Amino acid sequence: MKKFALLSTLLLVGSAFAASPRDTLVIQQSADVPTLDPGVTYDTSSGALVENIYETLLTYRGNSLRDLEPLLASKAPTVSNGGRTVTFDLRKNVKFHTGNAMTCRDAEYTFERNLVTNSAESGNWFISESLLGTGSNANDDKTITWARIDKAVECNNAGQLVFTLPKPDPAFLAKLAYTGQSIVDSKHAIAIGEWKGTEADWKAQVGKDLTGSNLNKQPSGTGAYRLVRRDANATLLQAFDGYWGKKPAIKNVVLQKVPEIAARQQAFLRGDADIIEGGGRSVDEQQIKGKPGVAWLDNLPNTSAFAIFMNQKVQDPKLLGSGKLDGQGIPANFFSDVNVRRAFSHAFNYGQYIQDVQQGKGKQLTMLLPSSFPGYDAEVKTYTFDPAKARTYLQRAWGGNVWKNGFTLTANYRAGSVPSQTAMEILKRNIESLNPKFKVNIQQKQWSEMLADSKNGKEAMVLIGWAPDYADADNFLYTFYSSNGFYAPRSNFKDASVDKWLDQARSTVNTAQRNRLYSLVGQRAYEQAPYINVPAGVNYTFFRDNLQGVSAATYNPMTSFDTGTLWKDLSKR
Amino acid sequence: MLNFIVRRLIQVPLVMLVLSLFIVGLTQLLTPEQRAAGYIRSDQQAARLEAIIEERGLRDPFVVQYGNWLGSTLQGDLGFSRASGQDVLQTIRERLPNTIELTLLTALPILLLGVWLGTLSALHKDKLIDQILRVLTILGYSLPTFVLGIVLLAVFYGYLGWLPGAGQVSIINQFALGDLRRYTGLLSLDAALNGRWDIAWDVIQHLILPAATLTVVSAATIVKVMRNNMLEALTSDYVRTARAKGLSSRVVNNKHARRNALLSIVTLGGFLIINLLSGSLITEFIFGYPGVGLWMVEAGLRLDIPAVLGFGLLSALIVVVVSTVVDILYGVVDPRVRFD
Repeated sequence: MKKFALLSTLLLVGSAFAASPRDTLVIQQSADVPTLDPGVTYDTSSGALVENIYETLLTYRGNSLRDLEPLLASKAPTVSNGGRTVTFDLRKNVKFHTGNAMTCRDAEYTFERNLVTNSAESGNWFISESLLGTGSNANDDKTITWARIDKAVECNNAGQLVFTLPKPDPAFLAKLAYTGQSIVDSKHAIAIGEWKGTEADWKAQVGKDLTGSNLNKQPSGTGAYRLVRRDANATLLQAFDGYWGKKPAIKNVVLQKVPEIAARQQAFLRGDADIIEGGGRSVDEQQIKGKPGVAWLDNLPNTSAFAIFMNQKVQDPKLLGSGKLDGQGIPANFFSDVNVRRAFSHAFNYGQYIQDVQQGKGKQLTMLLPSSFPGYDAEVKTYTFDPAKARTYLQRAWGGNVWKNGFTLTANYRAGSVPSQTAMEILKRNIESLNPKFKVNIQQKQWSEMLADSKNGKEAMVLIGWAPDYADADNFLYTFYSSNGFYAPRSNFKDASVDKWLDQARSTVNTAQRNRLYSLVGQRAYEQAPYINVPAGVNYTFFRDNLQGVSAATYNPMTSFDTGTLWKDLSKR
Repeated sequence: MLNFIVRRLIQVPLVMLVLSLFIVGLTQLLTPEQRAAGYIRSDQQAARLEAIIEERGLRDPFVVQYGNWLGSTLQGDLGFSRASGQDVLQTIRERLPNTIELTLLTALPILLLGVWLGTLSALHKDKLIDQILRVLTILGYSLPTFVLGIVLLAVFYGYLGWLPGAGQVSIINQFALGDLRRYTGLLSLDAALNGRWDIAWDVIQHLILPAATLTVVSAATIVKVMRNNMLEALTSDYVRTARAKGLSSRVVNNKHARRNALLSIVTLGGFLIINLLSGSLITEFIFGYPGVGLWMVEAGLRLDIPAVLGFGLLSALIVVVVSTVVDILYGVVDPRVRFD
């Protein structure tokens, strides 16, 4: 008995030092952090750390996605030469974590390094599009020379950073706010073996994957937090004493890797972790929401758009059955008739999807652009679930042959994705209920195969989404609706007017004019119905209720961290 | 014996070469797109699929891809593991000691408990204690590791709060780890050598639940085998002869019967240690224990080929070394075994 009492005491003593201290933010997640090098940061898990270690020239103001404000720039940039020259004054007395002072040379080095490397895994293609007129790197596009890169970003005699663009790009400033464009400590980077920043060794760096770079191992930014240590178990950061801005209230940040959700939930409910990676809305609402010590923040803006593609030129004969409108298959251009597309858009039960998949927390989008984004027009009409209208359109389609002969369509969904499977099942049931001659086969497929096949236009109907690189409508609308956009080979949607408006919007710096063009795109997309717009989920977050600084007013969905804020804006009671 | 050990060690590079050929060969069954998917974490990166394939040479012939891998491996570069965010060698260097620590704390209780309970069960065949032990063995044997792990975590950490949750050390000690001088790589031992008993105790506490999970699940097999071996030994001629000579039950049971029954336990123990050292995948995953097992689960899920290859080579090394030790132990347990 004595022995048991001693053991219990020891164990209890042990458990006492588990709770999360007041000056320490404890985060538990299952996701790994692939890199701490901004030059290749292109995922939210890395972004959540990089955005606190490093800083960009500009950032989003508060929770706005439309307004930018200076961060490492000392004021808003001067735009001249018809939008082709952008000049920045940089903040003085800013130090990197190594103690090196930030100069214009660091900013120049950063952007040149991003243009030089521009590896496939990175998001540097979009900054390259702005500065070099192509998303490719010098290995893929031989017209890219060192002289072009050098000229694209320079420091002038007044110590200002000058970008020279081949043509105006209205999204350029938003692109600069992307975490991957954070300013790195050039002296430190060169000292630890990164690119020397000169023409001498630039060729060897082209396309180089920086994920495991020396800078990833020893980051040095100007951010409010500096890396202390990183091991298999945890990443530790500490408030940077030399930070130029307001001193953060939270001194330490511990990011623990806990793959099992049950273990994370236990830690969170006991107060050992302040923030954890949840298990999706249904799991979190059931197991976390309403429990003691839990703060729950809902109805937050979402920044992704999902669509069911209706490919107008299906390249895979296996999905076409007979390949004719004889009830046994579909012709490759089945979806090229707008009546079919409209009918399918009316056959999707949006409300049911919101209920079944999003637990009632979903929102129909008017266009494939998050509603919080600049350029979103809430006035554009949306399709409603209306079997009668769907029937009418299908009776008109293909001169009445669709209705008369029926069809057999095969659609794939991503294996393991419950939302995709549910969406396809909803569509299947509703279409098949319209006419006994309609048959929709749905089957699951591995993601990697879907990626490859949809890229080659082989898929007839798939559910795919897009998340933003930067808060500009072009990043979504060009991607989905332009016949030169990334998704064009998957949908084969081509509309001359839409192409024209999107191209105009790309080179128009006048915001009102751009918004008008995007409204036109949205309206035309409604008429042409190239996609079924899948309702967007509503974001939510949860955290320990002693954590301060998280609210709808401070939540910016472009911030990678779960609270939609930087750590420096948080405190604990 | 020395010859035997040297011969075994010479086999290591050969086994590793064949294994690496096999693993790289197997990956060729996947399309370049499937292999490139391992580098993709978002729809935006998916847009760069073709560029990723091109840059990684994933369409190159097998000989070229294998040649590239072998070339860098021979120079001591096993590549970069996306699952750990570190070089493969560095990952192994950092995580293997953690797994060894868990193995050390687990293997001995499993073997001792298994042998003791198995013997006890056999000596009390069909009596109450045997019945209870048999039921417990079946329970332990059929309990899935992830169920037992989560139950232990929920009860002892979540509900009672007696033991810490996932990880290797508590938050309060995380920052102190950087100041520790590392001698062995085994955190509890290093902490003790640094005079930081609080950290050593913290590490041990974090090891209790994973070790208990592994002990319950793995000891059941040893108990079962030990019981059967003992029953067989107890009815054999040499035990009968020993009894007839008038030796005490204690001597007969412990020296004659148990020693012979232990022979297959040595083999089983070898497998047990190989499994533990190669990472107890599910247990390390549930308890977020930063050993090689957790790394492997993540590498597998992410199709992290450099990590899978690195882990494969590590496992091969462990298998060869442990089986050599087991073979030597055979000689100790059974003097008839010779190495010439």
